[in-house]
Amino acid sequence: MWKYEKKLEYPVNIRKKDLKMAKYLMAQYGGPDSELAASLRYLNQRYSMPDDRGKALLTDIANEELAHIEIIAAMISQLTKGASIDELEKAGLGGHYSMHDHGLFPANPNGVPFTSSYIETSGDYIADIESDMAAEQRARATYEHLMDMTDDIDILAPLSFLRQREVVHYQRFKELRNYYLEKKI
Amino acid sequence: MNNYRDYYNYANNNYNQPNYKNTLNANIYDPYQGFIRGNMFPDLYNTYKLNKPVEIMPKNEQAELLTYIDALCFALIDLNLFLDLNPNDENAIRLYNEYRKEKDMYMRAYQDKFGPISLDSANLDGSTWKWIKSPWPWECEY
Ligand SMILES: [Fe+2]
Repeated sequence: MWKYEKKLEYPVNIRKKDLKMAKYLMAQYGGPDSELAASLRYLNQRYSMPDDRGKALLTDIANEELAHIEIIAAMISQLTKGASIDELEKAGLGGHYSMHDHGLFPANPNGVPFTSSYIETSGDYIADIESDMAAEQRARATYEHLMDMTDDIDILAPLSFLRQREVVHYQRFKELRNYYLEKKI
Repeated sequence: MNNYRDYYNYANNNYNQPNYKNTLNANIYDPYQGFIRGNMFPDLYNTYKLNKPVEIMPKNEQAELLTYIDALCFALIDLNLFLDLNPNDENAIRLYNEYRKEKDMYMRAYQDKFGPISLDSANLDGSTWKWIKSPWPWECEY
């Protein structure tokens, strides 16, 4: 069961419209290593975890990733607020406008829609956890690419927070994997 | 709200900083320092591009009180992940519960004054349904 709290995990308060960054941020909204993919991946994999630690960790990280989807969505929403059609077209979002207007839609920056094939679930907990470690590293790298593309502190602050969470998640998945290998569970 | 005055000073419109206790032996940031880094654990912390963490600059008292809640909620999230893998760490469990109680206190103070964050809030009683009141989290109007 899920409960909603009417607040973000980390505040988003972007003062300057930036349609290019909004477009690039869709990598983490609807791309293969997006927060959406991460949350759904862990939520599906948790049923294969062999003990209580794994079931708890995948549930709790999945839950946090849901909060990260909301942060990315808040950023895209604020970055595109009040944008004209002309501005959207100039930023390469004309295709997005034609199908979704100013609405949010989980696709990657090139407009490729999110697909469930991003959700790697093998039913083998070691294979799954190791793919999660790799996914966290790819998400960290994506955040670094996004941080490379802006100097707006209002954008950098939440990106830096989200990047750091991938660092921690990677470490926790690695500890879980090592624990299972050592204990030969 | 017996402790309200301990946490909020009406006279100068200035919240008292939370008084974080650290009973954990492991190296750990206090909730605010952890929150602005996105990481409670100095040993795991590594930076990119920004050479120091970005301070939260609350625009008003609502945002300031929310920052304390955000910091405590964050400490709970990160301690939770740590505890999933270290379920017998009594000090971490004690710290988790201290922050949880402190968070509950700030949540009550915030919701009494600015409206519900949670559908469990006692503040939902009354003649109008306060849950629908703006701002919504993505609107950043505080
Ligand atoms: Fe993550």
